Amino acid sequence: MNIVVCAKQVPDTAAEKRLSSDGTLDRSNDADQILNPLDEYGTEAALKLVEANGGEVTILMVGPKSATETLRKKALPMGADKAIQVTDEALHGSDAVATAYALAQALKQVEGFDLVILGSESTDARGSLVPSALSEFTGLPGLTFAKSIEVDGNVVRIQREGDKGFETVEAEMPAIVSVVKGINEPRYPSFKGIMAAKNKPLDEKDAAGAGIDTSMVGLANSKSKVGEWKERPPKEAGTIVEDDGEAFAKLADWLEENKLL
Amino acid sequence: MIRDSVAGICRSYGRTWFQELYKADKRSTELWENLGENGFIGLNIPEEYGGGGLGIFEICIVCEEAAAAGTPLLLLVVSAAINATLISKFGSPEQKQEFLPPLAAGRSIMAFAITEPDAGSNSHQIATTATRDGDIYRLNGRKTFISGVDEADWILVVARTGVDDKGKAMLSIFVVDAEMPGLEKTVIETAIPSPEKQWMLFFDDAEVPATRLIGNEHEGLRAVFLGLNPERITGAAMGLGLARYALDKAAQYCREREVWGVPIGMHQGVSHPLAERKIELELAKLMTQKAATLYDQDLPCGEEANMAKFAAAEASINSVDQAMQALGGNGMTIEYGLADLWPMARLMRTAPVSREMILNFVAQHSLGLPKSY
Ligand SMILES: Cc1cc2nc3c(=O)[nH]c(=O)nc-3n(C[C@H](O)[C@H](O)[C@H](O)COP(=O)(O)OP(=O)(O)OC[C@H]3O[C@@H](n4cnc5c(N)ncnc54)[C@H](O)[C@@H]3O)c2cc1C
Repeated sequence: MNIVVCAKQVPDTAAEKRLSSDGTLDRSNDADQILNPLDEYGTEAALKLVEANGGEVTILMVGPKSATETLRKKALPMGADKAIQVTDEALHGSDAVATAYALAQALKQVEGFDLVILGSESTDARGSLVPSALSEFTGLPGLTFAKSIEVDGNVVRIQREGDKGFETVEAEMPAIVSVVKGINEPRYPSFKGIMAAKNKPLDEKDAAGAGIDTSMVGLANSKSKVGEWKERPPKEAGTIVEDDGEAFAKLADWLEENKLL
Repeated sequence: MIRDSVAGICRSYGRTWFQELYKADKRSTELWENLGENGFIGLNIPEEYGGGGLGIFEICIVCEEAAAAGTPLLLLVVSAAINATLISKFGSPEQKQEFLPPLAAGRSIMAFAITEPDAGSNSHQIATTATRDGDIYRLNGRKTFISGVDEADWILVVARTGVDDKGKAMLSIFVVDAEMPGLEKTVIETAIPSPEKQWMLFFDDAEVPATRLIGNEHEGLRAVFLGLNPERITGAAMGLGLARYALDKAAQYCREREVWGVPIGMHQGVSHPLAERKIELELAKLMTQKAATLYDQDLPCGEEANMAKFAAAEASINSVDQAMQALGGNGMTIEYGLADLWPMARLMRTAPVSREMILNFVAQHSLGLPKSY
């Protein structure tokens, strides 16, 4: 089976993030750029399926030129067979829907895939919209928030964790699946993987090359606009409850007031 | 990238896991095998024998990162650094084929036995003998402080095969099975909280096939000297890792811990000594990398390897000690994992070569002072 994993480069999750004047994430600071952690789970899920069933894993990345490094240093060393990178100034500032459109267009040029796997969110934007939007654009069934994936003939089945238990959802392939943290334990690239990654095929395309209509993407053409934003307010001092023997009641009240109970 | 993977794998086990091992008298086999399967134990073994075809520089990364994750792997220094090097350089094609692939894959470990009760710093005193008897050698004598014999499939033993005209011992090296008739082992209790154990070995007419002689008979001393530089350099790398672990712990703690309303890291009495340790650490690292680079290019590196070992040992002892101080009472707890690292850091000043022997070397070879012993 052939699997496409959509992967994004993000600033190190632990790094401080700032918005630039156009309301998009400031990517010019010197935070380390890493593979979106959720995409590590996606890549691992794809590698496991291919190891069990045969086939190939292709990474599809829409992102700046500098993201090549993330492909060469992480996704390919983990074991993916090849990568497609769509890079174009026109894509800068694309929102989730515009990004999903770009991915859908690029996917049209990938022959014979059975599954598209994405992380359920990227740690810089946290929208969780791209997988569902991609399912709309491609017209393929979308199975989201998978905590496990299995393939049975031409059916893909996932378990989705909900408030009250698991839902089992299945669809015929080809299909789109988004995975959550904890679906697996992403491997660290082995020495062989690291060495092999240097020579794996990486197909770089601009927007036109990927069949993307540039009037549909980029900051100006995105449907969601950032109107206003504020810096996160500094942390306020918490409330200190002295235990005079009645602290439990005060704590319970506080939890109730804040709708945590 | 090698660094990231090794660090990631070791951290996924972590300090607490390591502590559980030594408390339960268990070995770190799982981590060793994991690193082996991923190709990191055999980085310095030639590719044709299943290794990575790289050098001491790269195996140093593994030593450093394992220690920096709080999971130091002492046996890398003997099995991967000394033994794999000696067999790659001096082994016959058959010997390489037998020993190197399992070592590269992390499936087997080879212990290294040179130290004897009466021959530690002075390897000319080696008294263990190997006497040729047809197709075999008979080994007789004692070895002491030999690490990891219980985890090893084989032991590389340095023994005396004769004396030259000046009465000096002529040495040879052999690979013996760790389990064999005529070899008894008893554990030496040490105060180092670590999964590896040290052993006293007794050879009593232990029969070793002559095919297990590595290199030429009587030429073992040259081989041993060649193996000692990788030992010193990787030992240094391990010390660097211990120092990093300690300084990382201390820095994190001092950013958060407040005693007088501000993080204690704001007090220069706390931050300056840590900063000094950091400088020591980085300088030691530079010398370690210099030594490894020279070694890998087949250039002389004795001076650099000794200096790196010295500097890294001192950096690791000082860093662990200073980190313990910065953590106050927590510096003594098992939870913060510093006090129980101190004996390992302290070991670096004694083994594989003592501080004094390094100073002797530098005095004599770097400064041209008269030989003192
Ligand atoms: C935990 C641990 C693991 C070890 N693992 C191994 C192993 O796997 N394989 C192995 O073969 N060995 C191993 N050793 C042994 C180690 O290499 C020796 O302990 C070390 O080389 C010192 O030798 P020694 O103990 O005989 O000390 P000695 O040689 O007796 O030295 C005692 C003291 O005298 C000093 N001294 C000696 N000569 C001089 C001189 N000329 N000038 C100034 N000072 C001098 C030394 O520096 C030292 O301080 C291990 C030791 C330990 C503690």
